[in-house]
Amino acid sequence: MQANAELEPSVHIRELKKDRVNFVLENVDLAFANSLRRVMMADLPTVAIDTVEVVSNTTVLPDEFIAHRLGMIPLVSANCDEAIRETRECTCDTACEYCAIPLSLNVACHDSRTLDITSNHLQYDPSVFNPQQESGAEGEELTKRVDNFGHPVGKNDPSLPPVLIAKIRKGQELKVRCLAKRGLAKEHAKWSPCSAVAFEYDPHNKLRHTTYWYETDPRAEWPLSDNAREEEPPRDDEPFDFNAKPQRFYFEVETDGSLGPQEVVMKVSKHPSASCHCAESLEFINM
Amino acid sequence: MNAPNRSELFVLEDGEKAVEIIEDTKIPNAATIKVVKQDHTLANMLRSQLLATPSVLFAGYKVPHPLQPYFILKIQTDGTITPADVLQQACSKLIGTLTALEAKFKREFSFKDVEGAVVSEDPYGGPSTGGPTWAGGRDYLDF
Ligand SMILES: [Zn+2]
Repeated sequence: MQANAELEPSVHIRELKKDRVNFVLENVDLAFANSLRRVMMADLPTVAIDTVEVVSNTTVLPDEFIAHRLGMIPLVSANCDEAIRETRECTCDTACEYCAIPLSLNVACHDSRTLDITSNHLQYDPSVFNPQQESGAEGEELTKRVDNFGHPVGKNDPSLPPVLIAKIRKGQELKVRCLAKRGLAKEHAKWSPCSAVAFEYDPHNKLRHTTYWYETDPRAEWPLSDNAREEEPPRDDEPFDFNAKPQRFYFEVETDGSLGPQEVVMKVSKHPSASCHCAESLEFINM
Repeated sequence: MNAPNRSELFVLEDGEKAVEIIEDTKIPNAATIKVVKQDHTLANMLRSQLLATPSVLFAGYKVPHPLQPYFILKIQTDGTITPADVLQQACSKLIGTLTALEAKFKREFSFKDVEGAVVSEDPYGGPSTGGPTWAGGRDYLDF
């Protein structure tokens, strides 16, 4: 049915930067490429602040507002699959070193100036854990972590400006105790490693998967994307090929820094929905 | 208030089976497959892989309700293979494609390592300047 069904997929990386990768995918069908996009956005685990205990908040922002902002801060999540476990799968009571990262923030302004509370003020702080409670079953997790696992992205890196949480003036303070946990963007978007995934195919709209609204001339009114340079423009006398299928898929994956672009792309084939659950279904069908 | 817990979208409950096959009694060589705690990501990929198999006469899926985390996949074959087997085949094909894709990505990234390691320009914009210092004088906090 499909001429390219047996061909291996092919990939060409056009650009790789610290926070983004731009690549062209070929010899796969549209559904597959789209699933790839969906997995990168919503199926890769990362860590993010999930519970916040507000000890003192005299800033102008309400507690909920601060808690939400803390949740959105990207935390280093390299090798998240192995480096931390889901709290719901851990045998501890509430949280322990295997299923959570303790972070605390304690800032007060004593001078006559505006003080920025930023992600750089978040400290790794094991005292957030309740000392009486027991840890979950022992595991390998701690050895699989990079040194700054769970710390805010870009902390101690002068080239990266930190994330602003709140601004305070003289006499105000913010004191919170947070637990960062592992999760998926299907539960909350704060767990997505991607800040954006651009996805395009058929830049000349030869397949007519979209219909352009126009005043007089759609070609004059709808500028082509850069990807159009990679494909032959349609001739004016070209008949519509209703059997044609999209062939080339243009991706640009931009991460928030919790995972690198390389890790995001490589994890897709290894992790969740994609292969894992296919394999799971296989197992169940065999039974 | 009564929205289901978001984690119920993807976590199997205790003893819950991920896949359930219901043979169709009215149509020959057909089956309806219910896959729980999965969404369009897997369903659409499977459907398209099934349609690429010559022995498949029909393959389609639906997610009956967006708040209920499962999808239904309907397959009819020409009789040379059962729907369950053809689904299994489609799964292994997809895993094969993913493995091949992973190898391709690995190769591509290995070429790019040198360029990728150093970022010349600052991708996040310039550094922030600290907050402004207030011009002396007193305000209500000093009283
Ligand atoms: Zn635990």
